This record gives sequence, structure tokens and C-alpha cells, in this order.
Amino acid sequence: MSTRDAKTDILQGTLDLMVLRTLETMGPQHGFGLAKRIQQISGGALDLNQGTLYPALLRLEQRGWIQSRWGTSESHRRARFYDLTRAGRRQVARESQDWARTVALMERFLRAAG
Amino acid sequence: MRTIWKRFSALFRRGRLDRELSEEIGIHLAMQEEEFRRQGMDPAAARAAARRAFGGVAQTCAACRDRRGIPWLEIAAKDIRYALRGLRRNPGFTAAAIISLALGIGANTAIFSLFHALMLRMLPVSKPEQLVSLYRTGGWGKGYVSYPLYLELAKRSDLFSGVLGRTGVEKVRFTPPGGRAQFTQREFVSGNYFSVLGVAPALGRLFTEDDNRVPGGHPLAVLNYDFWRNRFGADPAVLGRTLLVDEQPLTVIGVAAPGFRGVEVERHPEVWVPAMMNRVKIMDPRTWWIWTVARRRPDVSRNQVQAAVDVLMQQHLAAIYPTSYNEAFRKKALGQRLEVREGGIGLSLLREEFGKPLTLLMAAVGLVLLAACANVANLLLARGAARQKEIALRFSLGATRARLVRQALTESLLLAAAGSLLGLLFAFWGQRAILRFLPENLAGRFAAGPDSVVLVFTLGISVLSVLLFGLAPALGSTAVDPASGLRSGARQAAGGPILRRALVVAQVAFSVVLVALAGLFGHSLFALRSVDLGFRNQNVFAFSFDFAHTWKGEIRAAREQLLAQLESLPGVTSISYGFPGPFQRGGADASIRVPGSDRTAREPADVDIEYVAPRYFETIGSVPVLGRELDRNDTAASRKVAVVDEAFVRVFLPGEAHPLGRTLSFDDSKPEGGAPVFIVGVVRNIRQKGLREKTAPTVYVPVTQVDSPRPPTILVRTQLSQVALLGAVYGDLRRLGPGGALWDWQTLREQIDDSIFRERMLATLSGFFGGLALLLAAVGLYGVVAYGTSRRAGEIGIRIALGAERADMLWMVLRDALALVGLGLAIGLPVSLAAARTVSSILFGIQPADPLAFVATAAVLAAVGLAAAFLPARRAATLEPSQVLRHE
Repeated sequence: MSTRDAKTDILQGTLDLMVLRTLETMGPQHGFGLAKRIQQISGGALDLNQGTLYPALLRLEQRGWIQSRWGTSESHRRARFYDLTRAGRRQVARESQDWARTVALMERFLRAAG
Repeated sequence: MRTIWKRFSALFRRGRLDRELSEEIGIHLAMQEEEFRRQGMDPAAARAAARRAFGGVAQTCAACRDRRGIPWLEIAAKDIRYALRGLRRNPGFTAAAIISLALGIGANTAIFSLFHALMLRMLPVSKPEQLVSLYRTGGWGKGYVSYPLYLELAKRSDLFSGVLGRTGVEKVRFTPPGGRAQFTQREFVSGNYFSVLGVAPALGRLFTEDDNRVPGGHPLAVLNYDFWRNRFGADPAVLGRTLLVDEQPLTVIGVAAPGFRGVEVERHPEVWVPAMMNRVKIMDPRTWWIWTVARRRPDVSRNQVQAAVDVLMQQHLAAIYPTSYNEAFRKKALGQRLEVREGGIGLSLLREEFGKPLTLLMAAVGLVLLAACANVANLLLARGAARQKEIALRFSLGATRARLVRQALTESLLLAAAGSLLGLLFAFWGQRAILRFLPENLAGRFAAGPDSVVLVFTLGISVLSVLLFGLAPALGSTAVDPASGLRSGARQAAGGPILRRALVVAQVAFSVVLVALAGLFGHSLFALRSVDLGFRNQNVFAFSFDFAHTWKGEIRAAREQLLAQLESLPGVTSISYGFPGPFQRGGADASIRVPGSDRTAREPADVDIEYVAPRYFETIGSVPVLGRELDRNDTAASRKVAVVDEAFVRVFLPGEAHPLGRTLSFDDSKPEGGAPVFIVGVVRNIRQKGLREKTAPTVYVPVTQVDSPRPPTILVRTQLSQVALLGAVYGDLRRLGPGGALWDWQTLREQIDDSIFRERMLATLSGFFGGLALLLAAVGLYGVVAYGTSRRAGEIGIRIALGAERADMLWMVLRDALALVGLGLAIGLPVSLAAARTVSSILFGIQPADPLAFVATAAVLAAVGLAAAFLPARRAATLEPSQVLRHE
């Protein structure tokens, strides 16, 4: 939509999908929970500054894919919880497919080249 | 959409969102710290590690804050900054564009605000669209009906839900309680006036039917809200007080709602009085004095109303003019009609004579705006061509065309916004200048304040003009192929010189139309000014004065005394008076017989009557052609005499070598007339009623030999200044006693000017607009020709090097400009001829296809074209081949 996003689209796109997918499997999460989970799953391969999560969350919320509300954490702390919306669920499905296609394509190239 | 809304609303909740974000980040850090501690770190290390894992807190906040805003709004802000930078870098271009637009928009706003006030604005009454005015035409006078006819109309509840009557606004003497005599605008109205219009009282109560039943029996007054505020300081205690209006003591019973100023556009009553208080013969069916405005029933169409009213009018006329009247008279009387007219926009006499010219001016300023837009479009195209390299560079750096177009349009919007603001200023001045053409008593009535409708109009035309002048250049100048655009020395024509040439041709065509109209109106005004008035002394002061009605019989003596005093003033050459006097409305006519004239052998004929005092013709500067003028020896006791004009002689005594000694008679019952009136002099035809009116046969009767019906117009020929004379008149008037009043002070020249204000205004404004369009066309022409020669510099240089005559080069460029002008003329002249035909009724003394105006237009355009092209042409002719070719 805006031309400014063009150059960082790839990175943002992957982070977005990670967040959405995590919320899909884990249910509502606060920011710290999400960051921890993403790092766990990446097995430390992703050197993610946890802070970069927040602009991503804001963007996803603005697009209507996730919603947030203030609640209480398992340790009885006040925290902001994020959850997928229905549009968000559709988006996960769509993007997962796109990724699968891209990955399959790249694999074929890499194999052919190798 | 949702995103935009969320972001937009975020703009207004910055503080709260910022707090929430830092709270969220705080919680995040605390959770991480806790986890590290659980893993066995000491508190200080855990805190540091948590911070490290999070990364920059400040960066995160900043990134979120950026996200929250509205990207397009920010991009727009960037575009605006970029455009402003660009405009600042080119002050010449910017000024030219803004001033062109401001002139176009200003002219439109100024004319539209008048147009709106006169032609469009609805009266501030309930459901104004239902109102119709029943306007009498044919017969004598216009508009008014008799009271019995009004009552008949009012009974027609099958057509109308209400019919009101009103006399029209009249300036009368008025004395507030304990105050000095002054003037006010009074209107007599029927009892249902306010209820039919749906106007509420601001104070007290308004009239009802019960306030208008008995002739002379309802000394009441309702005040206009502004009048109440200005003259009584909005004092509620005005209720129940007694005002002396036109010698009638009236009790104030209420004040009408604010904003309501009666049903006329240009004359606003300040005091409303029940119609029964009028001093006319109220119930006389042949006294026409009341205007009717009716509220049409929603289920009846205007055509149905017209048909029903036609029938009603015919029956009414047949009843009041029985066959005993003479045939010609009766035919004229029965020819009268009641015209059903639109009433919701207010009644206006001005609209009748001014509506069409104003519509024409509206069209003319539309052309000016188009010309201005064409000019700006041309400037933008020229700049686009100059910036081609920059645009090509930005394309190759990855800018999208949409983005560049948007930037170009942002610039156009800025220009239009600045142009509109400046234009509003121009409009304000312009409007005041235009109103100065109107006679003083009309000009003040056009409330010229900023009106929301007018502002919306201005906004609308500015947006329209952006589309007109901005879109094509924006698209054109961004249609650049980056590769060829960047190549050095490339002279690819961005936006196409064809488009620029077409724009110039359009500009020329617009100015042809405007200049041709200016020529027509100018010539027409010249013809009007050359009309033989029949008198020379235009600097004669004319005014009226009046004494209290209670003076009755002594009024004539008092007037004579005052005139004698004025005549003895040093510096006063002569003084006289007449009724109605030159260029005054009103006047009398009479049916006469001229013994021995074929014209009146079978039936009597109508002539205009003027009542004049001694030295009347000497004062206005008209020497009798034959005989003498009326003098002091023509008294009530001497034999009846009259002076006639040349038109009279031509009509009634054709071929008569000795009109003096012939007689006429005001007794029209038999062919040879009755008591004779001796013709003692013949004067030239004097345009008493205005420059356009052919003089009807006129008989001048000495005031001493009739009962002069109304206050006459006093005429003073003097070397004194206006101030000195005015002071003297006031002084003498006061010495005679209280109750004297003076009004309508003007020189005859001013009266003549006022009587042709429409023509003066049209000629001046169309001249101004024509000049404006010419200037714009010249700028456009210059730009295009200069651009063309600079592009062909190489070719011209080579030609000169090969031995071409420099004069040929000059002529080559000039010919190019003349071709453009010729094309513009070919389009513009037929259009202006068509436009001229629509205004032929306004033109005086010339035909719409006036050869002088059209030849002059063509000549002016050719001259302007040559002048605009001359500089570039000379530059081309003086090119040094060596220089040009080295540059190539």
C-alpha cells in the first residue's frame, strides 16, 4: 500500500507470519510470551531483537489480523494479550501456502544448481 | 479503510497510546528479567540481559510511533514541502500562476456574489419556493393592482394558501419619539403579510387581519430588526411608543424576526404599516397601488395558476371598464394581464433590466477563468519540459509515475489554494468597485458580506481549475522515457508542443470573445453618450424638498420664498423647478386634441406632461427653437399657455411653418377641443425619461396654471460647490420652520450616469475582462513562441550561416505567432457573434454584428500577437551562428 515498505517487505513478511502462526497454535499471548516462543521454535537460529516484535504487532493489529486487550498473566501480572481475528486466520492460511510454494520453488532451483 | 481509520484516530490519542506502549515494554522487560533470575542470574545481570535481549527500547517506541500515523498524510506533507520548495525556487513562475488564478477566481467570485444575491438567493421565509408574484403587465404602469382586485385574488383559496398585498418600499419622513426628522423606508402591507410569509416576531407581535380592516383606522407599526437595532439600540421599550412616520403617528407593536427584510431584493422596508393607513383611494378599482405575492398551493402548478388568473383578470377588467369608455382606451385597459412570476427569490425591478447583463457577465468571467487556467497549464507544461531531466532521473531511481503525478497535482493544488485566497481579496475589492456603478440607493442594498454559498462556489471553481490546468501537464510532463530523457542534450518534447499551441489558440479564442464583447458594449455606450439630450447644462444640481403635510396651502408660498432666497445667493446663475424633472421617475400624461390636426381629428391622443417653473429651459441649458419659454407673466390668472417640443410639432402639426399661435386642448371630448391652451414656444426634444427612450410628444405646462401634485425637482445652476450650496439650502430650509426635508441630491450628470449604470458597468467590466484575457493570451503566446525559437535555434543558426536573410528569420517567427492568433480568431469570432446576438436587446444604436467592434477586435488581437512574438523573433533574427552551433 505504501511505497516505503518495499525494501523491508521480506523481513517483515516472515516475522508477521511467525507471529500469526504462533498465535494460531498457542492461542492468545502477551508480547514476551510471543518473543520467547518464536525464539524457542527457531532454535536460536533467529537473532531477533525482541523489541522489533512490537512494531510488527502494531502493524498486524492495524490490518485487522490480530486484536489486543489488557488482561492478567499466569503470574498475575497486568499484561496486553494478542489474539488472532478471523481475518488473521485466513491470512495465516494464505501466507502459509505462499511460503510453501516459494520454498518448494527455491528448493528445486537449489537442487538443480547443485 | 479500517486501517486508515485506526491510524487516523491514533493521531488524536498519541499520549495514551505512548503510555500504554511504554507500560507494555516495561512489563515485557520485567517478565524477561524474572525469567533470567529463575535461571540463576543475579538481579543486576538479569536486568542487563533482559535489556540486551529486547534491543533498543527507544528505537522500538519510535518505530511504533511512526507506524501509528497515516502514511499518505505524511507523504502528502512531504509532497507539500517538496512543492513549496519547487515554487520558491521559481518565484516568477509561481507569481505568474497565482496571479492568473487569483484574477480568474476573483472575477468569478465577485460576479457570482452579485449574481447570487440578485438571481438565486431565496428569501428568508418559510418555503420560499411556493411564493409567486402576480405582476400586472400591459396598460399603464407595471406590477401594481387595485385593492378590490387584490381582495378577489385573496379569495381564491383553490389556487393559493395565502395572498398578501404590499405597496412597495417608499422613502418617507420619520421622526422618532423626541428625535430629529430623518428618512425611513416604509411599506404598507396587508394584515396577513407576516403570516403568509411565515415570519415570526422577534419582539411583541406582528399584524393580523384584524389590524387591517378600516381605512385610516390602524395607526400601528412593525419594525425591521436591523432598524430596531440601529435606530433604537435594540431597546425592548420601543413597544407601545409612538413614531411619526410620513406625518402619521404610529404605535410600535412589534419587531420582525432578524434577517427578514421584506420581499424585495434591492429595497428593504424598515417600518411596516397596515395597508389601510395608505392615503390613496383604497377601494377604488381603478387606483393601482398594491403588489401581490401569493403562496401557491403545492397541488396547483404555476401554469394552472396562470390560466385561472388570466380568466379572473379578464372578468375583473371587463367589469370595471364598461363599454361606455372610449374604444382605444378600453382596448388598452383590457389588454392588461397578471403575470405569475417566481416569488421565492424576492421581487426585483433591478432583475428585469440587470438580470441578463449579469448572466452575460457570469459567462464572461467563466471565460476569464478558462483563460487563466490555460495560462497556468501552459506555464506548468513549460516547466515540465525544463524539468524533464530531473523527472527522468527520479524515474530511474525507482519513483512510480503515480507518485510523480501526485506530486505535480499537489503543486497545482497549492497554486489553486494561494490563487483562491488572493482571489477572494480581489473579489472583495472588485465587488466594491462594481457596486460603485450602481445608483447609490441600490448599491447599499446588496449585503456584500461573505456568504457561505459564495465561498462554496469559490472552493468549487478552485478545485475545478486544478483539474483544468493541473491534470494534463501532470500527466504530460511525467510521460518521460528515462533512457532518452537522461541523454544529454535530448530535446524530447514533454507534454508536446502541440498541446501548448492548442492552449494558446484557446486563450486567443477566449480573449477574442471577451474583447469583441468589450468592443460592442463600448461602442454601444459611446452611442448612448452621443445621444442628443436636448439640453447642455449637466452640472445643474437637482434635488427635492418637502414640507410637512400640515402646511398644506402654504407650501407653495414657502417654496417660492426658499427659491427666491437661493436665487439671491452670489454664485447662483439661475434656479427653476419642474415636475417630475429630468431623469425622474413618475410623470404625467394627458389625452389632448389639437384643433386642425389630422392626428386628433377622429380620436384624442396621449402626450407627456411636464409642469415647469419660469426659467426652466434656461437653467438646464436649452434655448427654445421658436418663441419663448414660460415666464413670470404666465400666472394662474393669465391666458393658458404651453411650450411644446419638436416631437409634438412633428406628430400633431406636420409641415406647420408657424406652430406659435396654434392651440391645443385638454378637453378631449370633441375633435375641435374645448378651452384652448396657446402654444407660445417650441423647444428641442429633451430626453426626460432616460437616454434610451425616444421622446414622446411633450407639453410643458406652467406650474402656476395647475395644481402641481407632488414635490417638484429643484434645479440650480451655480458656480458654488456642492457643499456650499447644500449648506445654504439647509440653512434656508431651517429658517422657514421645522418639518422641511431635503432629498435626492444629485447633479444632472450624476443622474444621467445612474440612468445608464448598466451600460457603463458592462462596458467597463467587459473591457477589464477583455484586457485581462488579452494579457494572459499575450503571456501564453510569448511563452510558446519563445520556446519554439529556442528549440529551433540550431536550425536558425544554420540557415543564417548558409546566408538566409535575418529579416526572413524575423518574419518566420512572427508568421508562426500570427498563425496561432489567426486560428484563435477563426474560432473566437463566430462564437462572439453568437454571444452578441443573445445580448442584442441590451445594445444601443448598433447591431450585434457591429463591424467596428469586430474589426477592432481582430486588429487588437493581431497587434497583441505581434507584440508578444516580437522579442523572441528578434532574438531569432540576431542569433550568432557560430555561438549557436558551438553550443550544439
